[in-house]
Amino acid sequence: MPSSQAPPAGATALDPTAVRPDINDARIVRVTPAEIRATLEVLRSDGFSMLLDIGGADYPGREPARFDVVYHLLKLPARIASVAEVGTPERVRVLCGVREDDAVVPTVSDLWPSADWAEREIFDLYGISFSGHPDMRRIQMPDDWEGYPLRKDYPLRGPANERTPRPSFALKSNVAAGTPASGRTAAALQKQIAQARGRNEFHGAADPAATAQSGKTPGGAMTAGAATPEQLAERPHDLNLQKDDTK
Amino acid sequence: MALGSGGDFLLTTVDSVARWAQASSVWPLTMGLACCAIEMMTATAPEYDMARFGSEVFRASPRQADLMIVSGRVSKKMGPIVKRLYDQMADPKWVISMGACASSGGVFDNYAIVQGVDTIVPVDVYVPGCPPTPDGLLYAVNLIQQQIKQGGRGGILARA
Repeated sequence: MPSSQAPPAGATALDPTAVRPDINDARIVRVTPAEIRATLEVLRSDGFSMLLDIGGADYPGREPARFDVVYHLLKLPARIASVAEVGTPERVRVLCGVREDDAVVPTVSDLWPSADWAEREIFDLYGISFSGHPDMRRIQMPDDWEGYPLRKDYPLRGPANERTPRPSFALKSNVAAGTPASGRTAAALQKQIAQARGRNEFHGAADPAATAQSGKTPGGAMTAGAATPEQLAERPHDLNLQKDDTK
Repeated sequence: MALGSGGDFLLTTVDSVARWAQASSVWPLTMGLACCAIEMMTATAPEYDMARFGSEVFRASPRQADLMIVSGRVSKKMGPIVKRLYDQMADPKWVISMGACASSGGVFDNYAIVQGVDTIVPVDVYVPGCPPTPDGLLYAVNLIQQQIKQGGRGGILARA
């Protein structure tokens, strides 16, 4: 039996434009949520065995249906004898307008299992829920997320974080202590460093009396002698941290 | 350190030996978050060869890792997981914030991305770049080793 992958004589069928049609060749059908289920069932029994993707679109202000749910279908021949026979598979795009105040569409995850996660993604990002879906919950955003990020009226930085100034880089001591990175002053930082030196937690300080007094920080005791400015200058990354923090 | 006159014994302190051993075997956590992870992998590949500095053993368990390389953007969904991994690492531990996204959110100044991983875990070294070159990451590991040799105890000691 000859291989079905063998190119036919003349190799005309391997011309890319012959095998892969322009996506604009797709038939476009527009339906309402009440009709979508029946439409897709008919299309599926008609041979559109593959649901490529389900997309969402937001047209703020459009009446009556603000959203579109878009189904991309592909008709695959049941049996393919050769590349040439694939030809130009037929495509259908089904657009389903959805109202904002009634953003529910019947699921098709029982017809095409590939619809399962696609519908969850649309629910996650557009807030359109799919009735009859076995597991209708968020898929990308955290479970406790509020809002639907791909809606056009969703603020880019999130509703809780309108444009705020970037905090300066935090020292690990500040993060460990729970101090918020923003709003710290150079004076507060110097005070904190002095406190750390006093507790002998600073890596350069090794006053034996202070070590005995605090009774902790073996790390400080490891290095002999306090950190002088000269020693600090030998550790440029330490200085950089200081500079950054004085901004 | 002092060498004996006959050359048959060596005097040192436990501290300096322990620090030398620690600094020479900084084992990173296997945690690639985004495209910076590709450069992180390259840093371990033969051309850059992080093994020269004893850091080639990427451990898949946080219990066995000393160093967390936050290699890429951290989404808000991933943030608690990063924090949990950091908490699961045994002390002493160090953190490198690799690249613009891990350090500041980078170009992803949006609702989904943590604006700087230093809001979640304490960072020892920031590596600039988008992504940083493997050399940059190697330099950051060298800085971590310097910190260790100077007695820094990652995650605990105040460094200023």
